[in-house]
Amino acid sequence: MSGGAQYVVAAYAVIWFLVLAYVVMLGARTARVGRQVEAITRMLDRRAAEESGAEPEKVEERP
Amino acid sequence: MTDGPTRIPGQRAAVIWGALATILVVVSTIGVFLIAPEDADQGIIQRIFYFHVAIAIASLVAFAVACVAGILYLRSRDERWDDVGEASIRIGLLFSVLVVITGSIWAKASWGTWWVWSDPRLVTYLIVVLIYAAYFVLRSSAEDDRKMRYSAIYAIAGFASVPLSFYSVRVAESFVHPVVFTSGGAAMPGTMLGWFVVSQAAMIALFVALLEVDLLGRRSERALRRLAMRLESA
Repeated sequence: MSGGAQYVVAAYAVIWFLVLAYVVMLGARTARVGRQVEAITRMLDRRAAEESGAEPEKVEERP
Repeated sequence: MTDGPTRIPGQRAAVIWGALATILVVVSTIGVFLIAPEDADQGIIQRIFYFHVAIAIASLVAFAVACVAGILYLRSRDERWDDVGEASIRIGLLFSVLVVITGSIWAKASWGTWWVWSDPRLVTYLIVVLIYAAYFVLRSSAEDDRKMRYSAIYAIAGFASVPLSFYSVRVAESFVHPVVFTSGGAAMPGTMLGWFVVSQAAMIALFVALLEVDLLGRRSERALRRLAMRLESA
């Protein structure tokens, strides 16, 4: 690369890499909250089933 | 049986701002690299300017939002304003680090050095970054209400460093760091200014989108904690 193009590429690569890393970090937190919501949902279903004396409803696995 | 998933407030705003930021970032990247004219003096290196300056301004906007959130927290003691303040400073700090790194790359390309300690803009901006980095040290040293109160006061006081950085280059009349925007207008052609405005809009939208997603995560975590506590006590 000539005329300083490598500096421009480096600058924009740093920007997109760090912004993307931050978005991934936020996404990981959202995924963790999602897993906790599923755990609580399962717990609630189990309790509801126990109270009614029926078999606990199977929670569908989501991809 | 349990009800369907509860809708956390702010989901829609996060999606809208996320989409807007993505569109603006793509459009501005295309414009900056393919449409904007090449600078006669600096050549291709000048293309760093569009995002470097836009992110710098967006970081100062983030710190301004944190300052306002600090004032609103002290007035209302509503922890949601503490969330806004912390998230804004976190994003502002991310943007500031990007400004320092891209600025150093630009400096190396055009001045032949990574950093110039005698330049007031560079040094005062670094001071701003360090002041806001210390915000997180302060937060980790206190608990609950005291943490939120101290953080709000620090966010307000820390904002005093922002005009210091902004005006330093004008007061000190630096010959190393260029001043593009003056009271007489922008020292660049209209096409370049147009793409800079688009880049600036993209960075502001990116800030708002990241802020919305961050706040959404915090609200979800808080709602989840309350739900878990209710379940344990039931």
